[in-house]
Amino acid sequence: MKFLRLLVKNLTRNKRRSILTISSIAVSLFLVATLETLMTELKNPPETPDSALRLICRHKVSLFNALPKAHEDKIRAIEGVEAVSGQLWFGGVYKDPANFFANFTVVVDEFFKVYPDLQLTDAEKEEFLADRTGAIVGNALADRFGWKRGDIITLQGTLWPVDAELKIRGIYSGGSDLGTSLYLHWDYLNELMNDFGMVGTISVRARSADDVPRVAAAIDEIFRNSSSPTKTETEKAFVLSFVSMLGDVQLLITSIVSVVTFAIILVAANTMAMSIRERVREIGVLKALGFRARQVMFLLVGEALMLSLTGALLGAFAARLLYSSINMAAITAGFIQRFYVTPGTLLLCAGIGLMTGLISSAVPAWQASRLPVVDALRRVV
Amino acid sequence: MIPIKYNYRSILIRRMGTAMTAIGIGITVAIVVVMLAMIHGLDMTFVESGDNLHLVVIREGSLNEVNSYFERPAYDAIRFLEGIRRDSEDEPMVVGELTIGLNVIRKSGSESNVIIRGTAPMGIALRPGFKLLEGKMFQDGLREVLVTRSISERFQGMALGDTLIVYDQPFKIVGLFEVPDGVYDSEIWCGYNDLAQVSTRPIFSSLLLLAETEEVARNLIDRIEDDERIQLNAFTQKAYFAEQTTSSIGLKALAVFVAVVMGIGSCFAIMNMMYGSVMARQQEVATLRALGFRRGSILLSFLLESGLMGLIGGVAGCAIGLLFNGYSAGTSNLSSFSEVVFNFKVTPEIILQGLAFSLLMGLIGGFLPARRASSVKLIDVLRQ
Repeated sequence: MKFLRLLVKNLTRNKRRSILTISSIAVSLFLVATLETLMTELKNPPETPDSALRLICRHKVSLFNALPKAHEDKIRAIEGVEAVSGQLWFGGVYKDPANFFANFTVVVDEFFKVYPDLQLTDAEKEEFLADRTGAIVGNALADRFGWKRGDIITLQGTLWPVDAELKIRGIYSGGSDLGTSLYLHWDYLNELMNDFGMVGTISVRARSADDVPRVAAAIDEIFRNSSSPTKTETEKAFVLSFVSMLGDVQLLITSIVSVVTFAIILVAANTMAMSIRERVREIGVLKALGFRARQVMFLLVGEALMLSLTGALLGAFAARLLYSSINMAAITAGFIQRFYVTPGTLLLCAGIGLMTGLISSAVPAWQASRLPVVDALRRVV
Repeated sequence: MIPIKYNYRSILIRRMGTAMTAIGIGITVAIVVVMLAMIHGLDMTFVESGDNLHLVVIREGSLNEVNSYFERPAYDAIRFLEGIRRDSEDEPMVVGELTIGLNVIRKSGSESNVIIRGTAPMGIALRPGFKLLEGKMFQDGLREVLVTRSISERFQGMALGDTLIVYDQPFKIVGLFEVPDGVYDSEIWCGYNDLAQVSTRPIFSSLLLLAETEEVARNLIDRIEDDERIQLNAFTQKAYFAEQTTSSIGLKALAVFVAVVMGIGSCFAIMNMMYGSVMARQQEVATLRALGFRRGSILLSFLLESGLMGLIGGVAGCAIGLLFNGYSAGTSNLSSFSEVVFNFKVTPEIILQGLAFSLLMGLIGGFLPARRASSVKLIDVLRQ
């Protein structure tokens, strides 16, 4: 395609300008890709087919209020409930508060039935169930601190006035926390706290997706008039409520993305106008040779598109490459577990690139193509 | 030295190009300034919440009032300690409070937790910034509450006269208050007895007391912490809140990331612009050289020009950033998981940082083109 060759030739004429333009667009779109991915991850917590069947039941007033463990029995009796496991945030510190990670006490009897997506060997499961001072840790967490099965670690109590000395009985992978947490026995804490019998939340596994809404409503109904009324929601909704607490952060990120996009277009338009202005004579020659106004315009717009699309795709794919090779969970201590640049985000970046190319070159290209040949040739640049 | 007139005339001639590049830089600076203002506002909310004379006492091992609980005997043990200031009626200025997180909905529809604090008239006296804005003070026993104005504006069902449901019991909002520029400005206050009764938790989350001098405060902290029977920790109010600035860590990281990436992008943009400018002015530069100006002066001159361009953008960006000064927003205090409302604060320091950043971008971006300009070969250019 001769047209394409001409286009590429024109771009390589001033290599430095082309490279700089592509670079600045690429960098800006790298930022856009990163921010978009952050938003997407915040709005879409990791899910597994098992997590879709899980409900989290907490005290209606707020997450801070405890529920009596006795609630478990009433929940178990509801039609459609397969397994129930109470949990209580332990919040222990391992050596230094900066080493923060999530650690929970769990009622172990049906724990693995509620969380079958935690993958570990049957031997590990049995050992954990049998040892009240045992703990299971996620593989990402184990890697972070170099823990192995059989290690004994101490968690200092901050929330609870007791320290926990635990033996690591198993290392799990998978789960909706992607291997970044630690679980210990609720019985262990309960005994140290003189049988206080309280849990923070109760995790419930429903028999099927259809049962989920009905079970949630049933649980809340049973406890509506009790001294500890509940609010039950799917695990996904529960996780999202934490994100919504961050409030205006989403607004902030969206605003930055829009503003950055606007800035890119501006800068690209500037470059485009500059280069077209310099090539007025050359455009005159093209027209004198017989190129039509419309063809000249397409040529100029085509060059702009090629530059901006290349820059956009470069930036987007650089983001994808970078984030697939670093461990976000380790860097953010489990706050962000997964940082995957989705095809949707890549498409968005390509779209912005396209739009930038079109908008930035439209006016200058149109004007240049309409210039009478004589005036163009006469112009001293 | 080439007169600066040359630079700003050149900028004026290439008005459009300069303007567009400056706007691009301006946007980068505006974003950075706004983010810095947000972080500063958030941090200041914690820093300004306390001083060194007020002490916050919570359970040993707890990091926040909300997670702490202890019983009456501890309160009694502390109440009559020496060094606690007495008020005009010779009462020790100590108050025992109960703080609970209440799950509520913002006007925007998203969920959050707001702290409801059961306190006593002494608690009001211990907060010198307290101001009742509208309505009247709550009466313990009548299930009345006060709500801060910022909370009332951000959350559903929290206007003066509305009824708040706390543990399934109706509480009437009888007044709006403020305790400016602090964490207390995002709370709901009511009588201790009312809250203890409906939550069936006759315990204390924290004590707040006023010491007579800073040295006395330090002694009191030691006294309280050494007492084995009560197992409590004491902090100056200042230290207690300073601990909670961890909420802005994520935002700080994001701000640095955005600033660096956009800075790099802007450098490329300036470089592009300046190269174009330099290439077009080769004859001018050659003329200048022929006139006797040295390479160094030319380099400096172009550097100055790109720096100037950066600064123009920086000024525009800071002006835009200033528009956000005082803007009110709310997020989660990651230590207590409850709402903290704060205002964006653009300080002179932040403006200076923004300007310095823009100047830096101008200089870095303009360096290579300036070098190119100064290394122009006289003969080749004059011959063209």
